[in-house]
Amino acid sequence: MNQFIRNNLGYLLLLAALVILPYALALITGDPLNKGLPLFVQGLMIQVFILAVFALSYDILMGHTGILSFGHALFFGTGAYTLGILVKYGQWSIPAAIVAVVIIAALESFVIGVLSLRVHGVYFAMVTLAFATVAFILVEATDFKKWTGAEDGLHGIPVPDALNPALHRTEFYFLALAFAVMVYLLVKLFVDSPSGRVWAAIRENEARATSIGYNTLVFKVQATIISGIIGALAGVLNALWNLSATPQTMGVDTTINALLMCIIGGSGTIIGPMLGAGVLQLLGYLLNLWLGSVWQLVFGLIYILLVLFVPYGIIGTWRAKNFEWRAMWRDRLQRVATGTGKSSG
Amino acid sequence: MTWLNKNRNPLITALIILIALVLAFSGKSPQTTSSIILSGVTLAALYFLVASGVSLIFGLMDVLNFAHGSLFMFGAYAGWTFYTNPRLLFNTAPILLAVLAGLALSPILARFVALPRWARWLAVLFGIAMAIFALRDFPIDKLVAMGMSMTGKIIPTAEAQEPIATMLLRIGGMFIAGAVASAATATRSAERLEAPMSRTLGIVGGLVALALITLFVRDLGEQAILGTESNWRFLLALGVGAGTGAALGALMEWGLIRPLYARPIYQILLTLGLTFVFDQVVRFVWGPAGAFMEIPQWFNTSSQDCPSDNLLLWFSQHCDSIFVMGRPFPSYRLFIILVGAIMVLGIALLLQRTRFGMIIRAGVQDSEMVEALGINVRRVFTLVFAIGAGLAGLGGVVAAPFLGVYPGMAMEFLLQAFIVVVIGGLGSIPGAVVGALLVGLARAYGDHIVLAGIQLPWMTDAISGSPAIARASTVLIMAIVLFLKPTGIFGKKE
Repeated sequence: MNQFIRNNLGYLLLLAALVILPYALALITGDPLNKGLPLFVQGLMIQVFILAVFALSYDILMGHTGILSFGHALFFGTGAYTLGILVKYGQWSIPAAIVAVVIIAALESFVIGVLSLRVHGVYFAMVTLAFATVAFILVEATDFKKWTGAEDGLHGIPVPDALNPALHRTEFYFLALAFAVMVYLLVKLFVDSPSGRVWAAIRENEARATSIGYNTLVFKVQATIISGIIGALAGVLNALWNLSATPQTMGVDTTINALLMCIIGGSGTIIGPMLGAGVLQLLGYLLNLWLGSVWQLVFGLIYILLVLFVPYGIIGTWRAKNFEWRAMWRDRLQRVATGTGKSSG
Repeated sequence: MTWLNKNRNPLITALIILIALVLAFSGKSPQTTSSIILSGVTLAALYFLVASGVSLIFGLMDVLNFAHGSLFMFGAYAGWTFYTNPRLLFNTAPILLAVLAGLALSPILARFVALPRWARWLAVLFGIAMAIFALRDFPIDKLVAMGMSMTGKIIPTAEAQEPIATMLLRIGGMFIAGAVASAATATRSAERLEAPMSRTLGIVGGLVALALITLFVRDLGEQAILGTESNWRFLLALGVGAGTGAALGALMEWGLIRPLYARPIYQILLTLGLTFVFDQVVRFVWGPAGAFMEIPQWFNTSSQDCPSDNLLLWFSQHCDSIFVMGRPFPSYRLFIILVGAIMVLGIALLLQRTRFGMIIRAGVQDSEMVEALGINVRRVFTLVFAIGAGLAGLGGVVAAPFLGVYPGMAMEFLLQAFIVVVIGGLGSIPGAVVGALLVGLARAYGDHIVLAGIQLPWMTDAISGSPAIARASTVLIMAIVLFLKPTGIFGKKE
């Protein structure tokens, strides 16, 4: 047990901080939990949790399997719209609608995966972009206005009072936090499983994984399906939080956001994209306050600079540096201990 | 027999398409058929101009350029701005040229300056601050608004643009910002050190001179352009669009994509980021609303003789439409088809009949081998990127009088170009032609059906839809092709 705490100290502290955050803010500002700054920060953090899950689902593909998807917003939007339509017009209960979302997302990702993963890796990027754009066009089309609300989006999803984010902000905060933690554990489980090892093998060198005898298509489709389902669940939570589903959830910007979070935080690490979501959301909020509408342009430029100069993100760079520092100090200590004055590097 | 075997896939496809065409048009009158086919070929010409670049670039250097739609859009905006509001170009071009001149100093700086890490960050910050300072209060909105309000008229020059002295300060500031940025990123690579100093100085001096000349002739130039007859102005705009596209493409390859050849995934990530940035730049400069571009006089005359009865009569009348099978068809769209056909021919000639084309084809096969033969593949890469981007830019200007200019056109054409290359096979020019024709025809047919409504035998009322359905339906063809032959009709086996 001690060992466990020592190994995961950082994560546990982060979790504790997030649990205490609303109460601490309420204590400092003197406002109750459902007013003023505490209310606002909880709202901001709920969005961070939702986006963190979405970024994590994206990174299953990009960071862990080495597949680039440019249409991940499709799943986010699928989750939001499916839930919205079923609950609002089908009078389904929310759990039933969530089951439906999982099934639909699994089918969707299965079809896309089987269609596009048989060829060169870039096909997946193109095909997912094409499907997501088509979904965006259809959601915005006036033909289905009755269900999707066309350009305005689907508003006023009826939810039971207990789930209403406006009435029970703190409960929703903990729901979103619990959801994010659960998905984190789940993804960790997947990545450390035998399948996860094969994903990593595909990422590193697909030809070699094939020659060892793995049917890589199966594993790639598997990763796509898992990623799609988790992405759709993030969309569900987003719809419950906003009580609406808008075309923007399907748009390219949503995909680029997920990509950004992975790259900022460090793709291929599990906690990285989640931290990236936090950084992006808070930075976006601040830049928006400071620069107005130009902030998106600034954001795009920051993204390009990151891709060029900090490709491994916060966590990736930190781990690499940490490793170097440790090696350096170990080396120095050893030199002191053995009394040899000469540096080895 | 071997010929049949070799071309099995294209032949089967041709057969399927033929059957599909016969089925699709069996119940239609020849007039409807011809106008649908012409509309389809018009779209196909535009799709080809974007898709051919995507395909060429991927074939040669394995870079999937997600910013290609944006190059198309930028070409369209540049050509349209040149046509209606050259003042904006004359006032922004010197500033952009100055940054480039500063950046082009990098081979020289790499020789003398090797900044430590912390100084690099400081230099970056200083460069950004310098750029912000140099661009402060630049009256971009006024410059843009001039063109919107007085389309094609000669505008009074004293308003909206800043005095030459202010502009000179801005140019100087941006030159310094560019130079600082190149000092911050300068690395001592062997290739850079080999570049002769005189050439670098020549490039920098040329850019600076060009910036200054553009600035000093801005009034004269503007009046000369706006005074030109609309047809010639349009032809010049085509050149400007293609040139802008080519220059942007070459810059992208040289400055952003080349450093990332070791990390292929990041190249794609970068180009996707560029689409986002270009989109934001266009929204920031020209606003989120689109605009229409005037059709030049040659294709825009209306008199009592119009529409022209046939193509020959059109040459003397210049009517806005021509009778095709007894139904008027806009003559400008025939011009689009003509441009598309010329470009198909041009690319075919370039690839099959020139030495440069031979190098490209060899590079598609095996670029390492070509390099081993002593050919500078990097320069070929940059040139091909520029050619592909130039085609897209040209396509943008050609499309502008037909579809207008709007920020969404980048995504729209990128999507169609991807569908085209997936159908035809990435890296294959014949594939791009066939794919473009297929998608264009399907799109035109879809538009027709959606407007007219579908009535299947068991339905009481016809279902009609919005154009969005037709836009979305082309993805179905892509899905079918992917299912049957994942590498596309003309694609190589993996």
